[in-house]
Order: sequence, then C-alpha cells, then structure tokens
Amino acid sequence: MIDSIIFLEYMKSKNFSLAIGVPCSYFSNLLIELERSSEIQYVPATREDEAIGIASGYYFGGEKSFVIMQNSGLGTIGDALTSLAQLYNIPMLIFVSYRGLTEDEDFPEHSIMGEITENLLKSLNVSFSILEEEGWQDTLAHSIDQSLKESQPVCLLIKKGVFG
Amino acid sequence: MKGAEVISLFSEILQGNEMIVASNGNVSRQVYHLLNKPQIYLRGSMGLPLSVGLGLSLSQPEKKVIVITGDGNFLMGLGSLTTIAHFPPENLRIIILDNEIYATTGGQPTVSSTLNYKLLIKGSGVENVYSLSSINNEKEVNKSLIKLLKQGGLQILHIKVERDDIELVNIDWHPTEITKKFHFGHKIHFKSS
Repeated sequence: MIDSIIFLEYMKSKNFSLAIGVPCSYFSNLLIELERSSEIQYVPATREDEAIGIASGYYFGGEKSFVIMQNSGLGTIGDALTSLAQLYNIPMLIFVSYRGLTEDEDFPEHSIMGEITENLLKSLNVSFSILEEEGWQDTLAHSIDQSLKESQPVCLLIKKGVFG
Repeated sequence: MKGAEVISLFSEILQGNEMIVASNGNVSRQVYHLLNKPQIYLRGSMGLPLSVGLGLSLSQPEKKVIVITGDGNFLMGLGSLTTIAHFPPENLRIIILDNEIYATTGGQPTVSSTLNYKLLIKGSGVENVYSLSSINNEKEVNKSLIKLLKQGGLQILHIKVERDDIELVNIDWHPTEITKKFHFGHKIHFKSS
C-alpha cells in the first residue's frame, strides 16, 4: 500500500500544488489526506472533464496539478483531452482507478470500461503506466518527466488496494 | 448590442493586465480580434471555459481573470458554476453573452430563453450577479462592465445580446502557440522540479 501522506509529500516535492478530482472508493484514503493537506489544495469537480479544464487553466497560469478519477471518467474526458489538454500542450498527471477487473465481478457497471481502459487510452494517444506499490516513486518520477518533457497529459492506472 | 460590440466596448475599459479566457467559436474569434493579446482563446472544449478560468484564477491569485462565454457554452458546463460558487475565487469575473442560440454552428436555439440566469446563479451561491439586456442599452452595459472590473470578489455578469453578430475570420495562432504566447506575454515562469 502506498502511504497517502508520503505520496502527497512526494507530489509537493515535485511542485504539484493542486489536485482536482471526482472520487472513487479506491482513492478514499488519499482523498481524506488531500482534504487535510495544507500544501496541496483539493477541488472536487462535478465531472471529470471539468477537472481536466481546471488543471489546464492552472497550467496556463504556470502551476502544476494532478487529476483523480475513476476509469468511468475516461468516457467523459475525450474532448477535454483532445481539444484542450493535448492540443494546447498542457502537462498533467491523471490518476485513474482501474475498475472492472476480476475483483469487480459484482459490479457489472465497470465491466465494459474495465475491458477497454487500456485500448481507450492508446486510442487517445495518452501514455500510461500501472502504478504499483513496488517502485511507485520510480514509476511516478518517470511519468512526471515524460509529461513535462512532452508537455502532455500522462495517465497512471491504480488497481484496488494500492492506496489502501 | 451585438456580442462583438459588447466585447469592443470592453476593450476601452480593460486595464491591459487582465487574463481573459474566451469560449470556443465566435466568442474566441471576437476576443482575439477585438481585445489586447495574448489571451486564452479556446478552440474546442465546449463547456469548459469556466473551469479553465477557475484553474487560472487559482494559479494567478494576484491577477484579474475574466471568462467571456456564450450561453451555449455556459449551459454545457453548468456544473462548473457550482464549483466556482463554492470556492469562490476573489479574482474571477464571468461575462455571459447570451444570444439564445448556438451562433457558431448556424443559429440553432439553446434553452436559454426560458432560463432565469439571476436566480440560477444566485441560487448556486454567487452573491454578485447582474443581469441586463443590451438592446438599446449601451450606457448600462458600459456601466456594468466598469463595475465588474472595479468591484472586488467573484462576479458574474449576464448580458442579453442580439442574435445577429459580426462574423470574424478565424484565429491564426495554433493552440500550441496560444499557450506559449500567453506564458511569454504574461511573464509566467515555471518552478523547476
């Protein structure tokens, strides 16, 4: 399990000062710590595309933020990515819970998106990695570097239990 | 007044150091051609101008951030109104140019004609909301625009404008240039990590 406090300290050390998100139960610990954090502000968005819009505006102003959402939100952000964040060269990290895998077999609402999540990201030309407890700082450092170097959004897929 | 005429009027009121986010379509073109550059001209992301304005206002708290949007765009991203009202950023101003149609795509009606903007925006928690018609009312529009800039705190100004608007040629900056020119023009520097 990645300790949410240490995770947020790491993000702060990389100059991320804002998080915007739509919750998933996979992120409940992280979201509790975000609400408590005095260093990283949290904005609850009404929709995932709104979160991408806020992150884009934040970068227009010269600051870095990250977005949190369930993979169901990937179905909502296609236009926000292709006609805003990707088109305007806006780097950001998008943490996406990977729902619809075997542990979600009682939740059919996630099954189809779970199957297509990686192909959908590939179709959208969004680079992604699966963030696991082991080596999470290296994975994250690589994603942050790539996002900044390419000035593009980069996605991290989070399976159940990774954030506790 | 036409939407473009309101934007032209605004050019005489702006101080020049404001940051403007313009919604995609005609509004962006008008802001590009009629106001000082560089600003954020959205080419797509319909429904997101308020959220872009919110993000910009949070990262630039010392600057005045003004979102100029049409009614169709505002309605598509209505949820953002409640997010903005919840925080509400002191340095953010929103102008809704309401012609009751999707003008850029050929004038199809929005549902704006039955909406009470003042009630909706007030109900979302925004204290300072002003709604007026621009028809034969240039003086009042001028006064409202001056007040919008002068008065402190989050403010939203809703203006009914004529359906017929001035068609302007497209923006000749590619979006990647818009980002670069905005950062350069507004002297935005990045922290290295």
